[in-house]
Amino acid sequence: MTKRKPPPKINADTKAFWDGCRERELRFQKCEDCGHLRHPPAFLCPHCLSSRTVMVKASGRGRVYSYAVYHVAFDPAFQEDLPYIVALVDLEEGPRIVSNLVGCDPGAAACGMAVEVAWDDGEEGLCLPKFRPAGA
Amino acid sequence: MSLKNKYAIVGVGYTPQGVIPGRTTLGFHLEACAAAIADAGLRREDVDGLICYRGFPPSEGETEVTPYLVAQHLGLSPVFLAQDAN
Amino acid sequence: MHAVGVLEAGLCNYVLLSYGHCGRSGDSMMRMLAGLNAEDAVFGHFGATGGYALAARRAMHEFRTGPETWKRIAVGQRKWANLNPRAMMCHRPMTDEDYDRSPWVVEPFRLADNCLLTDGGRACIITTRERARDLRHPPVVIMGLGMCNPAADPAPASHLAGPTGARRAGEMALRMAGIARDDIDACEIYDCFTYTVEITLQDYGFFGPGEGLDWLQGGTIEPGGSLPVNTSGGLLSEAYFMGLTPLTEGVMQLMGRCGERQLGPKTGNKTPEIIMCSDNGGILQTHSCYILTKG
Repeated sequence: MTKRKPPPKINADTKAFWDGCRERELRFQKCEDCGHLRHPPAFLCPHCLSSRTVMVKASGRGRVYSYAVYHVAFDPAFQEDLPYIVALVDLEEGPRIVSNLVGCDPGAAACGMAVEVAWDDGEEGLCLPKFRPAGA
Repeated sequence: MSLKNKYAIVGVGYTPQGVIPGRTTLGFHLEACAAAIADAGLRREDVDGLICYRGFPPSEGETEVTPYLVAQHLGLSPVFLAQDAN
Repeated sequence: MHAVGVLEAGLCNYVLLSYGHCGRSGDSMMRMLAGLNAEDAVFGHFGATGGYALAARRAMHEFRTGPETWKRIAVGQRKWANLNPRAMMCHRPMTDEDYDRSPWVVEPFRLADNCLLTDGGRACIITTRERARDLRHPPVVIMGLGMCNPAADPAPASHLAGPTGARRAGEMALRMAGIARDDIDACEIYDCFTYTVEITLQDYGFFGPGEGLDWLQGGTIEPGGSLPVNTSGGLLSEAYFMGLTPLTEGVMQLMGRCGERQLGPKTGNKTPEIIMCSDNGGILQTHSCYILTKG
């Protein structure tokens, strides 16, 4: 009997991002005034404080900024995944996202490695944007 | 006007520490506070400010320890009361 | 810091700072860790260990650091804990081999890089220098204060491998105190993880990026070393009382009340006149620096 993993926090700020994920698209907020792309989503642009926002689609390509290899399950639902990699991924459009690095041996992971999005079907039609080594 | 050398730390309160089952978070706050007051050589009534460090979620069977609760159980009505000391 | 604010405002005469927690026997620490990065829990990313591990890994990429550096911190602080009867690890010496054998928690951190979970409490009282003169113990005065809060979560943060808030906070505190870094006799550094000690000392300017490993060789931070650090054993080896573990140890050292671990002839160190203390919050998101001296 495995415990369910925690669902994403979907609220007024984050809904558009997760709606995109259902359609297997990485969508980010772009400031209509200064053009800054931001993530995580929020009401205001942290550069110019404008609230005029549009959603733009990202390519899904990026590089690992940093990563951590979990050997302990802080939530029992992740026990069967150990060891697993949490990564900060710098997308080529600019925003940095917290995700998982999959299809990669922990010993082979490296800061700076090229990665691409690998959609992981979650529960209730939700898709999680994870990342795998580019071209793998 | 510089704050340099204007303020001093005058008492430190310790409690038993380590693996101490059968106690509460509130109880540890109160014991540490009472010990610090005694260590400084103050009377309880002298204390007119209380700042509790930010806390953690309450454990099973505990309620959240607020600065109100700590002040209440120390018998204090301080002028200044706040959480998060950093 | 807030206590000094209300004293300066004239609102209070004696401010009590308090911390208590059933961190070891209760389940609240796990609740905190599970809740801290709730936004990212969907990816199995939780709490402080994961966040600081991301910071430490990025640091390994940007400059020369890693387990060999952190081992010197974990083993060095344990030597202080072995002199402190209150320390949870008083009777548990740590060798280099013990560190190497310590299990991974969130790589690059082993269990030995993580702070303790503690049942207990700690408190202290802050007042004006004038009032302090009439009390029981020799007062310890706050010579310098600095604060800087980069605030951002690890994901958007640019400060994971430094400079963290410690850079500006440390500069502010030294400037207020009117002293040079070389005047500092000991440090009590907030050490939720070994890497936190390295990046804090580095941002305070005790060594340049990646020079920590060389700087730490030969027991620099240990009993008898040239800059004793975390002389109670710290959060890693004494007990976890947030920023009150380092702050109260700095106070007790300057009061001369530290028994076997009292800096001076007993430990082969200079009897301290000035001690620098730090406190962090979040994942390197807040930083406070306090320079203490004898009043």
